Parts: sequence; structure tokens; C-alpha cells
Amino acid sequence: MARPEEKSEVLQGTLDMMILKTLHALGSLHGFGIARRIEQLSEDVLSLNEGTVYTSLLRLQQQGWIRSEWGSSENNRRARFYSITAKGEKQLLRETENWQRISAVIGRVLALERQS
Amino acid sequence: MTMRAFFDRLRSLFTRNASRNETREEFETHLDFLAQHFERQGMSPSQARIAALRQFGNTTLHQQQLTDMRSFPALSNLARDLRFAARRLRKSPGFTITAILTLALGIGASTAIFSIVDGVLLKPLAYRNSGQLVVVWERVRALEKIAPYVGANPRHEELWRNQANDFSDLAVLQTGAVGVSLNNADHPRFVGQVSGQPSLLETLDIQPALGRNFLAQEAEQKSPNTAIISWNLWQSLFHGDRNAIGKTILLGNVSNTIIGILPKDFYFPKPNELTFLPHAADLPAIDVITPLPSRFSNLSWDGDYGDYIVLGRLKPGATIEHAQAQLDTFSKEVLRRMPPGGMEPGSLSTYIQPMKEVIVGKSTRSLWLLFAAVLSVLLIACVNLANAQLARAIASERESAVRSALGASAWSLLQTSLAEVSLLSIVGGAIGIALACLAVRAVPAYTHLALARTESLAVNPRVIAFSLLITLGSTVLFGLLPSLRMLRIRPQQALQNNARSVGSLSGTKLRHWLIGLQIFACSTLLLVSGLFTRSLIKLLTSDKGFSSQHIVIAEVDLGYAAFPSSKRLAFENAVLDHLRSLPGVDAAALVNAPLLNGESNIDPVGQAQGPWFLANYRRISSGYFNVLGQRIVEGRDFDDRDRTANNILISETTAKTVFPYQGALGRQLKHDGKLYTIIGIVSDAHNTSLRANPVNMVYIGSWENPPSGNFFLVRGSQDTTLLTDAVRKAIWSYDPTVTIAHVTSLDSRIHEVLSSERLETTILSAFGASALLLALLGIYGTLSYSVTTRRQEIGVRIALGATRSNVCRVMLQQLLTPLVAGLLLGWLTSLAIGRAVASLLYGAAPGDLTVTLFFLALFFLASAAATIFPCRQAATINPTEALRAD
Repeated sequence: MARPEEKSEVLQGTLDMMILKTLHALGSLHGFGIARRIEQLSEDVLSLNEGTVYTSLLRLQQQGWIRSEWGSSENNRRARFYSITAKGEKQLLRETENWQRISAVIGRVLALERQS
Repeated sequence: MTMRAFFDRLRSLFTRNASRNETREEFETHLDFLAQHFERQGMSPSQARIAALRQFGNTTLHQQQLTDMRSFPALSNLARDLRFAARRLRKSPGFTITAILTLALGIGASTAIFSIVDGVLLKPLAYRNSGQLVVVWERVRALEKIAPYVGANPRHEELWRNQANDFSDLAVLQTGAVGVSLNNADHPRFVGQVSGQPSLLETLDIQPALGRNFLAQEAEQKSPNTAIISWNLWQSLFHGDRNAIGKTILLGNVSNTIIGILPKDFYFPKPNELTFLPHAADLPAIDVITPLPSRFSNLSWDGDYGDYIVLGRLKPGATIEHAQAQLDTFSKEVLRRMPPGGMEPGSLSTYIQPMKEVIVGKSTRSLWLLFAAVLSVLLIACVNLANAQLARAIASERESAVRSALGASAWSLLQTSLAEVSLLSIVGGAIGIALACLAVRAVPAYTHLALARTESLAVNPRVIAFSLLITLGSTVLFGLLPSLRMLRIRPQQALQNNARSVGSLSGTKLRHWLIGLQIFACSTLLLVSGLFTRSLIKLLTSDKGFSSQHIVIAEVDLGYAAFPSSKRLAFENAVLDHLRSLPGVDAAALVNAPLLNGESNIDPVGQAQGPWFLANYRRISSGYFNVLGQRIVEGRDFDDRDRTANNILISETTAKTVFPYQGALGRQLKHDGKLYTIIGIVSDAHNTSLRANPVNMVYIGSWENPPSGNFFLVRGSQDTTLLTDAVRKAIWSYDPTVTIAHVTSLDSRIHEVLSSERLETTILSAFGASALLLALLGIYGTLSYSVTTRRQEIGVRIALGATRSNVCRVMLQQLLTPLVAGLLLGWLTSLAIGRAVASLLYGAAPGDLTVTLFFLALFFLASAAATIFPCRQAATINPTEALRAD
């Protein structure tokens, strides 16, 4: 998974995965909606720089994991809606497995008792 | 970046504006929603808006990041830099045009010269695996004074062919020329001819395009006479008729059957190129090959050196050293077969030389010299541009300082400067290559006498690669230096309006030492070209020992078959009489060898008993010395009574050599077993070469053995062009089937002989002049600029009482050291170069006083011209104006 390095890679990766998960769970959303859901999930990532979600969205689009189309929102404003693709679902699965494996290992490491 | 992302970026390039608008709309929508979100939380509309903007982040930054992801930022930055650079260059048209022209001329000239170097020296010969082709010479101690190595004896070559195993093929050949005609009615045309053994085409690895090669039997029997002709000759004589095979042509009035046509791209060096005594001559291209017998049992083992050339192809993997060592072991066998008392052991050895070196070796030194010269001119030009660019950089220091203060990285400052320089180089380089292509097409007309292999010059990929390399090099040279200044910009200093003395001290010093570098290159070039000019002038004006004005030479070949000895004598007598009777002709005579063609017809000469020496023999008619204006020092010229006597004339050198203690007149000389009486001693002349000292000359009457190659010398009072036509008509009116090789004036022959000297001198002088001009422009530019930047300082000086000369001294002071250093180094370098190319010079030693003084005078005159205006400008600065606000 190649990504441009500008900010912390971990942070970008986290944001990308969170967006994929959000779209997987909640279906088609526009940028504002995605930002609100992510805010609920973790405040620190997005506070003071909500616009970065669009950078992630473009990157995910370029990878082919999400697609976008114009539609109208609840109050009939024209907005662009994003939804996950089949490729995106596969990627999400792969990333989830990865995370779970890593966290299991870390969990085991952290569970090591002090030898007395 | 994945492939998919790459293509997405590519596609996005076309939808840039639309994407930007869409994104803007998206951001607006997002901000509105966010503002509403905060309003619901209780903020006022304006507070909500501010909070939304704060939460969203910098819209411009986000927009830019998205744009960057949808394009190729590096490329668009480059495009922007180039556009910006173009705009800046348009604003200073003077600099731009000068820079582009200078680069175009410098790169164009360098490319043109390199294409000559490439086409002549570097390109392999037009044969398969041409690196294996060699010429086998022999070193004969007895002939060392004539040449360090000579053409091999064919009987020795037979031995080599049978026993040496480093060669896959060997062939003996002779080059020359012959008159070709279809029938006896046409005037024969003069073409180059190679007589070679059947193995010649195999050695060169060439198959005839039509027909076949010679068979061994055909070469032995010499009947029927056969010939292979070139593609061009086939086209012009037979118009490409395929039935030409089997037809006959007349070679020297002898009928020959055509058995083969050579391929279209056939190339063989001319007689004056494939030889051990290279000389300049206007010879026709090789168009005919005739067979030489494979056996030379009628030749002696000791002698006949220099008459034939042995060409060989080494086996793959064989080295020249090994082959030479092997052939030298056969020398013992050869010496054994010689008549007793012939040669001592060790006086015969071989020298194997690669074929390409034989053809172009003599031009190597001069071509590399010309190459170095043109690169020096390019260097000087680049330094000029570097100085100019440096000045511009200093002038725009404030702009760069502002950009730096605003956050531009050093690299991006460098980028703009490099963009400008690259743009200039690309345009200048492109024009330069185009100019070179044009020049290369015109070059062969000027160089075909001075250089071999110039018929096929082209701007090939290797030349283009070189051109790109020097364009890059020039860019680095004139662009990098000023650009590096960008990296050391200190915004605060530069922003201070410090007009009192603009430009750091180190910058000025750098510019002055660059001028010093230019002066060094310029003076080296001028001094070397001065040496060549003096050398050429000496060659042209030194006393040749004979007069060349108003003399026409006609070379006439009488074929052996059509003109046996008796017919030759009648022909020569009749033509001489006819020529002498032409209106306007003062004298006419005959000789059997061309003038200024090197030594030939060399045979031993000596007293009846005693040591023998080598001399050049010439068969002449009476009146020969009269035509050439050579003085008869003692005795008399030939006249009619000598036809029945064995009389001979010798030159002063021969007299001194053979008769060192007594007078030679009246004494006897032995030649070819006969004794001759010396009836006259003629003054020495440069008749074999303008450069070498006069050699031993011996003159025998032509009636004794009328030659087949005749050179009629005619001196007349009319214009030589009219005389040329008259002579040709006179000869053909007597017999229209003889081959007239050419009719030219002796003056143009001398012109021809000096063709390589003239080429070198012309080109070096042209480069020297350009270098001087460029260096002076550099000095002028630097001084002018100094005046502008030091206005206030000079104003102060004048206000304090400085005189005009004081001001001038101040201006020139900083330049003086680099200038003197440049001149001195240049002089020393010219000494070194002069020594390295001493073989190309004549009568002009390195460090020649006349040349040096002339150069110094020229240089100071020119510098004075260059410095006068800036100095005057400086001296007339109004102090009050200069000291006023900056």
C-alpha cells in the first residue's frame, strides 16, 4: 500500500481506514456526514483540520476503493456522496485482519507479567 | 504512486478547471453544514461561521493539496518556472539575444569541428571489422634517410603469406590513376585505379555487387585484360545497364573486359592517403580495380621497396605486436635469400600499422588542436555569459531576498535561475546544432584536399550526443556559478537599500578572475594561431629556388601498349614543338615526375668507384630549368648535342655530397651500370617539398628512356587560365586519345600542396579572432558594470580631487593582476602547445619573438579600445549627481 508521505503515515492510514469502515457500515455519505461520524469515533484525529478528510477521500478514490457521485442531501443541497466499492470491501477486510493480528501480538506483549 | 493513481492524475489534467469548481462547491457545502451544526449548538451565525472555518482548516491549503494530487506537481512547477524565465528573458532582450547567439555559434562551431574529428579520426573505416585491417611496411636501414618505413617488397610478402599465421588474408596492391574511355573517339577521363591481387577484395571482405572477383589465372596471364569498375563509373559510362558485364572499356588506351561492378558504398583511400609519404594532392576517387599477378619472381629480394603496398587482415584475436614479431623472424629467411653483400642482419624489419592510422594519422595532431581551439572559444563565451548572468543575479538580489524572506527554499530560488539558463541553453543549443548541420554539408568542399575521409561527414548520433554534452556543460558553466550565489542570499543584507557599493567584494573578485581565465584562453589561442600564420607566410614567401608564376603543368599519361618507346619520343618532341609555337608561350619543357609531390624515382648515385648515395632522378627535356627559372651555377643545360651523348646534370647538393673535395663539373657519375658526364650543376630548389631541405637531384635527358608519365611545363605571358585551355587543346590536337590527367597552373599546385596548412591557419585564426572579440566584450562588460556599481565611490574620489588618470587607474587596478596572470599563463601554454605541434609548423618556433610582439601589440590596442569608453564614462561622472540619493 503506497501512500505519499506528508504527515504521519500512521495518522493518514488510520483516517483512510476509518472512512472505509464508516462507508462500509453506514452506506453512502457526503463529506460532512463522514466527518461527523469520525468525530464521534475519535475526536483527536480530526479536530481543527476537518478538510483533510477530502485528501483521504481523493486518495481512496484514486485507489479505486470508493466511488463518488453527485446527489442531493436531506435539505436538498447538491452534494457529492461517497460509497465503498467491492475492491474497497476487500481492502477493508485485509486491513482489519492486519490490525487484529497486530493488536493481538501487542496484547500478548503487554500482558507479560513482571517476573518477580 | 500506483499505476491506477498515475492514470487518474493523467486524466485529471484535462478536467482541471471543472474539478476545481466542484471541489470549491463541495467545500462550500461542507462549511455551510458545519456552520449550521454550530448554530444548532447555540452559537450565533457569525460565530458559527468562524468556528466552521477554524474547524475545517485552511481551505486554500486543502484545495492546493487536492490539486497537487490531481496533477504532476513537479512538471507543472517546471512549466511555471520556464514560463516565468521566458518572461524575464523577454524583458532584457539585449542579454537574451547576445546569449542565444553566443551559445548558438559556440555550440555550433564545436559540434561542426567534432563532426569532422568524428568522421575523420574516430569513425571506423567502412569495412567489416575494419579494426583488423593493417598495412605491413618494411623498415629498411639503407632507405632511412628517405622515410622511416617504406612499402614492402612483394617477394617478402609471398613468404609471409605462406608462413605467417596471424593473418587471415594478405594482398599486394598499387594505387594510381588511369584514363578511362569507352572507345577511341572520346577523350579519356582520369580516374583513380587500384591494381591488386585477387585476395584484395577478400582481405577487405567486399563482394562485387554484380559479376565476380578476379581469378588467380587471370592475374597471372594478363590476357584477356580484365577490370572491376565502381558503381559510379558503371552508372556514368553504362547508365546502370546490367549487360555491362562482359563489355570492354579502354584503360590507358588498352582494352579491358569488365567482369564485376563494385557495391555502391565502396570506398578505397586515394594514392596520397594510403602511402608512407603522405602529401596533399587533388586526386580522383578510386573507380577501377585491375589485377596484379600473385607471383613476383621477376622482382629482386632486395629492392623494389616503396613501389607496392601490402594490405592485410589480422585473424580475430591476433595482435599487431605478435604479428610483427613473427614477421621479423622471417626477415632472417629473407636476408638469407638476398644476393651476398646485400644487407646486414638487423637492417630489415617490419612495421605493421592499422589501416585507419595510415589514412588519417597525419591529420590527428592538427584536428585535435582545432578541437581544443574551438572548445577554448566556447569556454570564453561561457565565461562571458557567466559574468553577464552574475551581474543580472546581483541586480535582482532584492527580488530573491524578498522571496527568501517569504519562505522560498534555496532550492526553489535556484530553480528559477536554472530555468532561465536552461531555456537559453536549449534554444541556443538547438540553433547551434542546426548551424552545425549546415556547416557540415559545406565543409567537404574546403577540406577535401587537406583531410582524408571528408566525403562522408554527417551529424550522426555520436555527434549529437557530444553536442548535448557540451550544451549541458555550457549550461553548468555559465548558469551554475551565478545560481550558487542564490543559495547564499542573506535577506536582511540584501533588503537594506545599500546602493553605495552593490555587490559583494567576493563577487567582483570572482568576475575579475573569470576575465583572467578568458584572457588566458584567448592569448593561448592567439599566440598559437600566430605561430601557424607566420609558418604559412614563411612557406608561401620563402625562396623556392624556382619561379612559379605564369607556369602551367599538364600531366599526360601515355599507356604502355599504345605508346611504345619510339612513339613516346615522337609524341613528346611533337607536343613540345607545338607548345613552344603557341602564341604567348615563352618556354616549354618536359619532366617525368610532378613537382612538390615528395621524393620519387630514387636510385643510388655515386662516382665510378666509391660510396653511393641516394638521389632523386628526373628525366627532362632541354629548357626545363629555363621554364622554372632555376639557375645553372656551372656548365650548361641540355641541348641537341646531348641526344647522342651520356650527359647528366646534377644539383648543388648532389655535387657537394658526391664530390665533397673537388669540383663536379666534367666528372663522371655511375647510374644503372652506365657512366655519365656531368655537364652542368643547377642551383638547389624545393622541387620535392616546400618544407624539407632540397634533396640530391640528378637530371637525365628524357630521350634516353621516354617516360610514360609526362609533365609538360609551359611558361607564358598570358593569363594562366587561357594558357591552360590552349595547352590542353594543343595536346589533344596532336592525339585526342591520350589521357590528360590534369592541366593546372603551378601556383594552384602550390596552393594545393599547402591545403592542410591553410586550413589549420584559417580556422585557428578565425577562432583566435573570435576569442579576442569575446574576451574584449567581457572586459568591456565588466568595466561598464563596475562603473555603474561604483558610481558613488568614484563620485567621492572625483569630489576629493582625483584626476582622470587616477580614476582610470582605480578602475583598472583590480583587473590588472588577473590580466597579467592570464597573459603570462597563456604565453607559457602556447610554448607547450607549440612544442607539441612542432611538426605542423615551419620556421616558427614556439616563443617566436615576432609573433609574441605582434600579439602583445594587438592585445593592448584592442584592450585600450575596450577600456576607453568605460574609463571615460567613469572620469566624467558628476560627483554631486552620484552622491545624491541612491
